Amino acid sequence: MKWGVRHVVDARGSFCPGPITELIKAYRKAQPGDEIELLATDPAAKSDVAAWAAKSKNEIVEMREEQGYIKIVIRVASKGG
Amino acid sequence: MRRIAIIGAGTGGTILANALAKKLRTEVRGGRLEIVVFDGSESHIYQPGNIDIAFRGANPKAFRRPPTQLLSREVKLLKSPVSRIDLENRAVIYDGGAKMGYDYLVVATGSIAAPEIIPGLAQASLNFHRSQEDAVRVWEALSAFRRGRIVVLPALPHKCPPSPVEAVFLIDELMRKRSIRKDVEIIYATPYTRAYPAHGIADVVEPEMEKRGITTYTLFNIDYVDPAAKKVYSLEGEELAYDLLIAIPPHRGADVVIASGIGGEEGWIPTDKHTLKIKGHDDAYAIGDATDIPISKSGVVAHLEAITTAESITSQIHGTGKVYLYNGRINCPLEMGGRKAVFVSGTYVKQPERQNPSTTKYLMKRLFNRLYWTMLSGALEPIFNIYLGPPYEVKVVADDANKSP
Ligand SMILES: Cc1cc2nc3c(=O)[nH]c(=O)nc-3n(C[C@H](O)[C@H](O)[C@H](O)COP(=O)(O)OP(=O)(O)OC[C@H]3O[C@@H](n4cnc5c(N)ncnc54)[C@H](O)[C@@H]3O)c2cc1C
Repeated sequence: MKWGVRHVVDARGSFCPGPITELIKAYRKAQPGDEIELLATDPAAKSDVAAWAAKSKNEIVEMREEQGYIKIVIRVASKGG
Repeated sequence: MRRIAIIGAGTGGTILANALAKKLRTEVRGGRLEIVVFDGSESHIYQPGNIDIAFRGANPKAFRRPPTQLLSREVKLLKSPVSRIDLENRAVIYDGGAKMGYDYLVVATGSIAAPEIIPGLAQASLNFHRSQEDAVRVWEALSAFRRGRIVVLPALPHKCPPSPVEAVFLIDELMRKRSIRKDVEIIYATPYTRAYPAHGIADVVEPEMEKRGITTYTLFNIDYVDPAAKKVYSLEGEELAYDLLIAIPPHRGADVVIASGIGGEEGWIPTDKHTLKIKGHDDAYAIGDATDIPISKSGVVAHLEAITTAESITSQIHGTGKVYLYNGRINCPLEMGGRKAVFVSGTYVKQPERQNPSTTKYLMKRLFNRLYWTMLSGALEPIFNIYLGPPYEVKVVADDANKSP
């Protein structure tokens, strides 16, 4: 698999509809091998993104608390199941 | 003479134009300022009315009015769509090539439900987001439906986050009224991990759905539809069969935004979420559904961003040095059937909290359907201000960055 581009998605300040909306917008455009860097302030982002990554078979390569927000990096492994 | 150009006379554009007309009446009457609004559509549509059209069979005429009736006398309406926006040269192109310069620009062109983005979706599904005519088709299909499986399927991004859940509850209510609920399976396939993206609201919605026998599929992001097989496939690798597919199609920005090369291929305008200025421009703003701000695409947001922008532009024209920063307030009603509703309320720093559904909240939503037209004029702003306070913070800037050009 080739290493692709990194898409930075800033979903800070969004609780409704929340970070998953921004993540999916980026995911639709991304190619396998790309990375999506998601920034969020919604505390549900961690469990939501983990659940989505598990189900869609994409890999979380980083998840950490920064000052006042959460940073999650996802490597796009699969699309369309 | 200076000119403020507003593109779009929907919720945001109309409220903004009327607010500016009030604040800058002296300048307009004195011939020193012109407020021009562009919109080619015959009718201003009250879009939440699509819920009543699609799920209660309401008459679409009740939810539309000519834009001329809704704009203050100080505002000049040009009944022509803008074909191109030239931010660098401060001009808009309209009416087959006419060019108009501006001192301040506000893009309020909304968003469009675009089923054609997803393979098979336009052919396979009905929706109540694109137009009143589409909402009528949903009502006709639901009225003719006798037995089988109805799938309600939102695709991201879309306007009005509560609307898919409202659809599900109202379909349940309708099928019960028609005494055929036992023959109808209702499935809600959501892209999120819960039945509603904000967990506090999901806590309220999920038990109600369960009680009414509505099945929820989570983490279902539509990939494509096979209309012949009547099956939907998800990006997560699942499939779902349907007899009637009611979709909330993915939305995109307006054609003019895409054609002007402003918002990428999906047409979301890069906008500062606090100042509401188009990034890199001090004299151009974007409000409402048209922006790329990660916030709910709703009339409430368009309204509050319009109020904030009216203050900012007035301040720039008067050279007060004040900057108005939108606080991200949202306050969207979510109807749950049975004459009950909740409000999804929050800001950029406060997430929506759990609350109990009530008939009072439902009646507030119904009342708002009628107050909407008055609200567009700005007549209700003093009341909103007393109860909710302004939707912005004010900052005084030291330099002249925010003063008139
Ligand atoms: C079914 C449904 C239910 C909803 N329920 C709610 C609710 O309960 N609460 C809530 O807050 N919101 C609700 N909404 C969302 C709300 O209606 C929209 O978010 C809101 O109208 C957005 O306002 P806007 O000014 O950004 O865009 P719009 O009101 O959509 O206006 C955009 C305008 O721009 C014009 N335009 C487009 N292109 C051009 C061009 N090139 N030149 C000139 N003009 C142009 C269009 O003609 C249109 O008049 C609902 C929407 C739907 C579909």
